[in-house]
Amino acid sequence: MSTSRRFEVFAIVFATVAPLVYVIAVENNYALITYHPITYSFGFGAQQPGEGPAMYWFGWMATAALAGGGAGLVAGLLPAALTRFLRPALAWLVPLGVLVAFVILLRDYFLR
Amino acid sequence: MWTALLIIHGLLAVALLGAITHQTLSVCLPARKPAASFQQRFRAVPGGGYVDAIILLYILTFLVGAFIYPEYRVSIRVVVEQMEAWAENGAFEIKEHFAAVGMAMLPAYRFFWRQPSAENQRTRNALTALLAVIVWWNFLTGHIINNIRGFGA
Repeated sequence: MSTSRRFEVFAIVFATVAPLVYVIAVENNYALITYHPITYSFGFGAQQPGEGPAMYWFGWMATAALAGGGAGLVAGLLPAALTRFLRPALAWLVPLGVLVAFVILLRDYFLR
Repeated sequence: MWTALLIIHGLLAVALLGAITHQTLSVCLPARKPAASFQQRFRAVPGGGYVDAIILLYILTFLVGAFIYPEYRVSIRVVVEQMEAWAENGAFEIKEHFAAVGMAMLPAYRFFWRQPSAENQRTRNALTALLAVIVWWNFLTGHIINNIRGFGA
């Protein structure tokens, strides 16, 4: 595969896998790290709040970036025959679906 | 310091909003040449020239927002909850998730703008429009949260 095609595969897979993993991470709290804003400290994994609230957003993104980046890199190394079925439309259809999913998951905020 | 960073975050978002809106309209509602009116000139920009600026502005806006987010979590969100402003709180929750999803789209957005073939056009336009939705939602939500207690509060 050419470098351009490898990057295309990486970009499509990353845009597909990272949002999917992100929404799963949010729903199940699979945070790679936790930030404790009162003590300005990071901890590994999803930790319970200590002094003040715990922030998982950074951890959810780290989980998604790791999964998406890893999947994209592996897909970019695969032979062209295995990636020719990868459709560019996935790069926007999956993120669109994830955006809609978040609106549905958080709808209770707007229905109180 | 937080106020200064919030203003920088807002200014970066304004620049991003302008760039992505120009680009989105240039691909979704392209102007017939020659553009005579203000609206037509707004839509007649060469969208490809905005790509790197939009990516840079998105990342910078995201990074500054991520840096000030803990201060929001500790000092502002509690107030929003005490005010029982649930819709505004929910809008901000959506904002943080939209911003993360937008980051994941940036490599594909760049690739499909840098490979301007006819078969990539729909993907490029859809990625651009989706990024515009994210940027508009996040800008308006940030604006509402910023002003939720009114001027001088």
